[in-house]
Amino acid sequence: MHSRKITIGKCLMVVSVIVLLVVLLFPYVVMVLTALKPKSEVYAIPPHFLPKVWTPGNFIDIWEKVMLVNFITNTIFVASLSTIIALICAIPAAYALARMRFKGSKAYLYMIIITQMFSPIVLLVGLYRIIGMFGLIDSLWGLVLVDAAFNQAFAVWILRGYFASIPYELEQAAWIDGCSKWQALRKVLLPLSAPGIITALIFVFIAAWNEFTVALTIMSTEHLKPLTVGIYAFFGRYDIQWQYLFATSAIATVPVIVLFLLIEKHLISGLTAGGVKE
Amino acid sequence: MNDTVVTSLQHNNKTIKGIGKKGKIKKLIPYLWIAPSVLLIAVIIFVPILELFLTSFSKVSLAGIRKGLIGFGNFKDLFSDKAFLIVLKNTLVWTIAVVGISTVLSIGIALILNKKFPGRRIVRAVLIFPWATSLIITAAMWKYIFDFNYGIMNLILQKAGIIKENIYWLAKPEISFPVLIWVGIFVTIPFTSFVILAGLQTIPIVLYESGSIDGASGWRSFCYITLPLLKESLTVSTVLNVIYVFNSFPIIWTITRGDPLNQTDTVVTYLYKMAFQANKMGQAAAVSVISFLILLAFSILYVSIVMRRSD
Repeated sequence: MHSRKITIGKCLMVVSVIVLLVVLLFPYVVMVLTALKPKSEVYAIPPHFLPKVWTPGNFIDIWEKVMLVNFITNTIFVASLSTIIALICAIPAAYALARMRFKGSKAYLYMIIITQMFSPIVLLVGLYRIIGMFGLIDSLWGLVLVDAAFNQAFAVWILRGYFASIPYELEQAAWIDGCSKWQALRKVLLPLSAPGIITALIFVFIAAWNEFTVALTIMSTEHLKPLTVGIYAFFGRYDIQWQYLFATSAIATVPVIVLFLLIEKHLISGLTAGGVKE
Repeated sequence: MNDTVVTSLQHNNKTIKGIGKKGKIKKLIPYLWIAPSVLLIAVIIFVPILELFLTSFSKVSLAGIRKGLIGFGNFKDLFSDKAFLIVLKNTLVWTIAVVGISTVLSIGIALILNKKFPGRRIVRAVLIFPWATSLIITAAMWKYIFDFNYGIMNLILQKAGIIKENIYWLAKPEISFPVLIWVGIFVTIPFTSFVILAGLQTIPIVLYESGSIDGASGWRSFCYITLPLLKESLTVSTVLNVIYVFNSFPIIWTITRGDPLNQTDTVVTYLYKMAFQANKMGQAAAVSVISFLILLAFSILYVSIVMRRSD
């Protein structure tokens, strides 16, 4: 009786794992297969799942159909610069939180966690006006600042955790050797917190890479658009050019999935701000 | 993760003595360290919040210029619009359905991932995909799958003999809204599963062993051991998900644009239309202020939960 129960349990488990995998992968498979179909097949009625003719043509055509080189360059520009700015601001702040006692440190910590809950969309009306005041409508710098600010919380929180987990004595030893606080941070703490820094770096980079709402709102000049908004060009008024849309989407998605896999283990602690034990 | 919280507290105690009373300048040093971060957040997040509140209480010209305060005028206009009530209802249904169903499914997924089986790492990796992908790309994939003519969903259901004629998935709100909710669930599951999995991994196996000695196995050990001990993870994931899902814009914007006639709009797509298509900045600001206050309440709830834990 007992052994039978185990086999039923095992079967159930295998079935649910398979169902899970199929559901998760299904849209990605559809995306890639559609990107590999010629246009006539994409618009075939009734549709068929596998391409009859496999063609990489869409992956070649998209470079001419839209300003893909510009889109990619713009996305990389925004993602890199917002990551750099976010970390330049977050590293000293996280250090202060981990190593110094000062009035208002708790208030600052609460503020950081609360800002993690805000999304640009709810503040968009105010945000748009402020970006306008800075003259940054239709400028990639507007996006850089927004992405850096809205990801401060994650970066500060995860770095604070890493800094705090490294014995203070190591830095103190460096001070005795004549290092300043800043030098000790740079030469001792930062190298030891590399996993935390890489996590923060990749997280902010991906968040900025995927950001859509603010970019849609403020960027209007075609050659200045980032990928997420550029992709939108394939949603025409009357028809959608699915084959190009998906070819571009595949190119935009592969790098972020790879990067995300690298930091998967550290994500939860940064996102739940200490709310979950790990 | 909690270990690091504890060590940081210890270090803070040490630094108290370290800083001591060496003059006022030394006391200012920590503020210099946090200054860039505070400045960035203040300018890009707090000033817009202020601007938002001001705009919501102002008359705004079509060109977007504020023309003096008008009290609650924008809010009154908002609630006199019947569409807004539909939007509020949609937001409620959207948030509760996506968060609720995602949580139930994620518990199952986390339980599976908590077991050792060949290929577990692959499942874990694949589970990351919807989380890493830009929401507009995920939304576009599902929009194509549910397309009336070219979509694979109609094909599969026809081949399986479940339907005889193609379904217009994205035309009527009674069908399109559940489709939107499904896409919402699809992108919410990864984060939720990983949070719950983190919670599961803190439950000592000993508890299950002693449970099984007492005759509790399977369903009963899940109800009496697992669920109570998951309470914290579930609270955290639910509160965070409510905030994320409430804020979610790209899915609805890509798939239905809130059409037809605001029937699938939620607060965020509605405020976007108000602000950038209908040029009603004042009313858009009013919608934002209401949403902001709801989110703020949830954020404060979340912070109080987290802080109660770390104290």
